[in-house]
Order: sequence, then C-alpha cells, then structure tokens
Amino acid sequence: MGKKCLDYISELNDYLDGEIDPGLCAEIEEHIGKCENCRIMVDSLKQTVKLCREGKEIELPKQLEDKLNSMLKSRWDKKFGKNN
Amino acid sequence: MNEKELVAKAQAGDFEAFSQLIDANKSKIYALGLKMTGNQHDAEDIVSETLVKAIDNIDKFRGESAFGTWLYTIALNQARALFAKQKQVDLKPIEEYLPTKKAEDLHSSSGFKIFDWEDPHKRLESAELKRIINEAIGQLPAKYREVFILRYLEELSIKEIAKLIHESEASTKSRVLRAKLAVRDYLSGRFEEQYGQKMS
Ligand SMILES: [Zn+2]
Repeated sequence: MGKKCLDYISELNDYLDGEIDPGLCAEIEEHIGKCENCRIMVDSLKQTVKLCREGKEIELPKQLEDKLNSMLKSRWDKKFGKNN
Repeated sequence: MNEKELVAKAQAGDFEAFSQLIDANKSKIYALGLKMTGNQHDAEDIVSETLVKAIDNIDKFRGESAFGTWLYTIALNQARALFAKQKQVDLKPIEEYLPTKKAEDLHSSSGFKIFDWEDPHKRLESAELKRIINEAIGQLPAKYREVFILRYLEELSIKEIAKLIHESEASTKSRVLRAKLAVRDYLSGRFEEQYGQKMS
C-alpha cells in the first residue's frame, strides 16, 4: 500500500459493501489489478466479514433452554392468571 | 399453523403457541447477545429479558412486522441498554489500522508487502479459527462492536444503524469502517502468528 492507497480505504470499503458508483468502481478495480497490497487488503476485508458471519447461529445451551422454559412458563401463568 | 394463527392463540393465553413462536428465534437472540456483549452471562440475560418482555407485551403485538422482527427489536434494545453500562473506549485513528503506517515504523525501506492470509480454513482448525474470530470481535470497544455487528452480521444499512444509534450517517459510516479495519488488523496479526507457528 502506497501513500496514495490510504486515500482509497473508504472507497475500497464502499466498493466491498457495494455502495459505490460504477465509475469509481472501475477505477478501483484497475488499481487493485496493479497494486498487490491493495488487492490483499480488499481480499482480507472481504474475508473478515465472511469469517465473522460464520457461526452467527449459535445454539442455545441446553441448560439455559431448560431454565428459560420453566421461568417463562411461570411468567406466562402469572400473566394469564393460572396459579399452578 | 401459520404465524398469524399462532400469534392469535398466544395472545389468548396459549403457552404452547408462544413457545412455537419463540423457538425459531431463541438461538438467534442468544447469538446476537453473545456477539454484542462478548460473554455468556450477559447473553443469557438478554435472551431471558427479551422473552419476558415479549410475554409482558404480547397483546401489544399487532402483526405489523414478522414476529421474529418484533422480538429482535426488543433484543437489540436490551443489548444496547447493557452496552450503555460498559466502559466507552475509543479506537485508534483509521491510519493506525492500515499496514503502511506499521510498515513505515518497522522498515523504512519500500517493497513492503502486507500479510496475505489466503483462506484461514485451510491453515487452522475450525475451533481455533472460531476462537480467534470471537476474540477479534470481542476486543472492539462497545460502540464499535455494536455497529460492526449491526452492519455486517445483522446486515442493517448505514441509514438504519444511524437512526438506531442517533448519529449522522457520515459518522456512522466512519465508525463502521474503523471497526472493520480494527477487526481485520487483529485477525491479520493473529493469523500471521498462527501460520508462523504451524510452519516452524
Ligand atoms: Zn494500492
């Protein structure tokens, strides 16, 4: 990444997030083709999001599930006036 | 039974219907809480407080959004309330997360190449990778972690996030970018370390 590349970072990110106008997009693609470090930067920023999205769905621990069910049931019965 | 019917039943006091409605969302809320707070205890609190609020307010649900969205909004507010209690630390300026700055510190010569992770799945075991990813998100100061998760994990738009956190779109955007660069920077450092160990 050269000094110039620093100025690009916000646009690079817009480019990745798909929030950029096509003209600038072509300019960035051209730059990435020539600049290895910016290419790595773009790739790793892409990976950052991809990796963080993995494991987004984490299962509720069984213990919590059981605790939750009995707690919610008693709250429910209280609300709807069943006292058993 | 469709969602509308389940909601009607739940609002009439049917706990089974309510259970079915929340079943599909419990894990999602837990995962959101875990990512946002970085610890299991707070994540559990978020799940239970969200569901208790859902019970207390079930009659106010009018079906204007999907039930899951309604629950999710409650969860988000719970998580944000917890966030407000956490210490607010700031991140370094953007430039500090860019490789050039560091390269200049380390070697003054040019020809510096930033570390290329390639695909970490090929180098690291999935449990190890997962741990590193969680650390990377967890090390972000609260106000950055929040926007990072909302933007990239929950896939809200900058506009939606700005509204939620009461900031301008411009400052929301720059906060999101700083957060992302900080996560990348952390991952990069950890991967470089780990790959090095694997090779030696
Ligand atoms: Zn460049």
